[in-house]
Amino acid sequence: MTQILLYATFPVVITLAKELLTKTTTEVAGLIESREVSPVDLTQALLDHAHELNDTVNSYISFRDDQALAEAKQAEEEIAAGNYRGPLHGIPMAIKDNIYIGGEVSTMASKIHGDFVSQDDASVVVNLREAGAVLTGKLNMHEYAWGIDNNSPHFGPVHNPWNLDKIPGGSSGGSGAAVASNGSFTTLGTDTAGSIRIPSAVCGLVGLKPTHGRVAKYGCYPLAWSLDHIGPMSKSVADAAATLQGIAGFDPRDPTAVNVPVDDYLSGLGGDPKGLVIGVEEDYFFRDVDSPIETLVRKQIDELVSRGAVLKEVKIPSLAYAEWTELATSLSEASTIHHNDLLNRPDDFGDDIRFLFELGELFSSVDFLQAQQARRQLKQEFAAAMQQVDVIIAPSLPVMAPDIGSSTANLNGTEVDLIDNFIRFTGPSNLTGLPALNVPVGLEDDLPVGLQIIGRAFDEATVLRVGSYIEQTDPMQGRRASVGA
Amino acid sequence: MTISVKDALAAKGIHPSQAHLQLLEAKWAQIQELKGDLTDIQVDDADIALRNIPGGDHVG
Repeated sequence: MTQILLYATFPVVITLAKELLTKTTTEVAGLIESREVSPVDLTQALLDHAHELNDTVNSYISFRDDQALAEAKQAEEEIAAGNYRGPLHGIPMAIKDNIYIGGEVSTMASKIHGDFVSQDDASVVVNLREAGAVLTGKLNMHEYAWGIDNNSPHFGPVHNPWNLDKIPGGSSGGSGAAVASNGSFTTLGTDTAGSIRIPSAVCGLVGLKPTHGRVAKYGCYPLAWSLDHIGPMSKSVADAAATLQGIAGFDPRDPTAVNVPVDDYLSGLGGDPKGLVIGVEEDYFFRDVDSPIETLVRKQIDELVSRGAVLKEVKIPSLAYAEWTELATSLSEASTIHHNDLLNRPDDFGDDIRFLFELGELFSSVDFLQAQQARRQLKQEFAAAMQQVDVIIAPSLPVMAPDIGSSTANLNGTEVDLIDNFIRFTGPSNLTGLPALNVPVGLEDDLPVGLQIIGRAFDEATVLRVGSYIEQTDPMQGRRASVGA
Repeated sequence: MTISVKDALAAKGIHPSQAHLQLLEAKWAQIQELKGDLTDIQVDDADIALRNIPGGDHVG
């Protein structure tokens, strides 16, 4: 068992070990700030734990033991000198392997980019370094982020810490599994059709896809430029808020970044939902939902209403075209990015994503541009709806996670296509660019169920605050993944 | 004239496996169903709002 040295004013060694790793980022940040916990010892403990678990969960592609311990030592010295930077200072965390750390390999979980080295840090890595975070390694993912099961032909499948036979969701499945198994205090995922919110829902985490442009994505390998986002995946709403605080901001090197002020996300959490106006769109977001999921989501809406929130039904007719629009846009953009490799070395792709790249070649320019017309209509209808309500609440996913290797999921007794259904409720917020947060709201067959909170553009503060209202009632009843606990 | 999935991809120099071709035909047909009546609704003059910003990527 790892020993954690408490290095405040007197050297007391106690065996907090794994109990400390189960704490949230903001909880352990308080112990680091008060110098009760050493970042070096905490990082060593987390690395030991993550290494030990990797044969089982397979969430890490690579570790940065030496670099992480050096970063932790620097953080410890800064804090000891009275220069505490904030809630990510000295926190050991890993990031998805499509986000570049300058001078080090980023594989995108691919064979083709298996030894790719970026010269630059990604914008978010620059920001994490400024926040004092300790980067412990790079996390497994679906190849090029183009899938949702993380059953990697190159780096092996990632296993769900709640049930090792189940997928962790994706494409940020290594990120989801790492945080759920306490192999990273918090992390970053990327989301093009739901790849932060899907693994967050399936692994029982809080995951935020911020507004498009809120978090600069220079130095992140693209899947589909106009739909890609980087955001936090964390153990709690406060952790997601702290992580967003650490990475949010403009970088002129990202042509889609938007130069708007960054709010104070942590200070706005908590309080009372009285007067909150919740929008519900029944025709799209509550059609064809697995019954246990619908029950848990509606229970949370009812709970908020019982505490003073107001429920209002909204209509967004263009959602009828959202699935086609998401597919036409994401498949076309992704196939453009990988066109040359599909022509010249198709056998080096995993079979599943080679299929998707072939599929994306079938769309015409008229298809793509019609999708952009439909997308603008969708954005306008969402904007109109959001003038009537503070947030829209929906299930994150309509189906539960299936076994690893399955291409289908069960929807009220019928087997349905897994990818199509996993992205059905998450995809619209990639098209609109609006912020969307997954919050765990209970268990079905001992697997987590997620609720999605969609907000106004650049209003992550409200989305996070509503997430904290839900978290106040402890809908998970303290349950956590058994593996890594 | 109807162009098959196989011919459309071959014209680009892309040659899927036989197994993929069958799946691609099925998936492409399913995607067309998802499009529904989109081409019939009032999108013919809808501006997609693609912006060409002179002088760089950002305004200001």
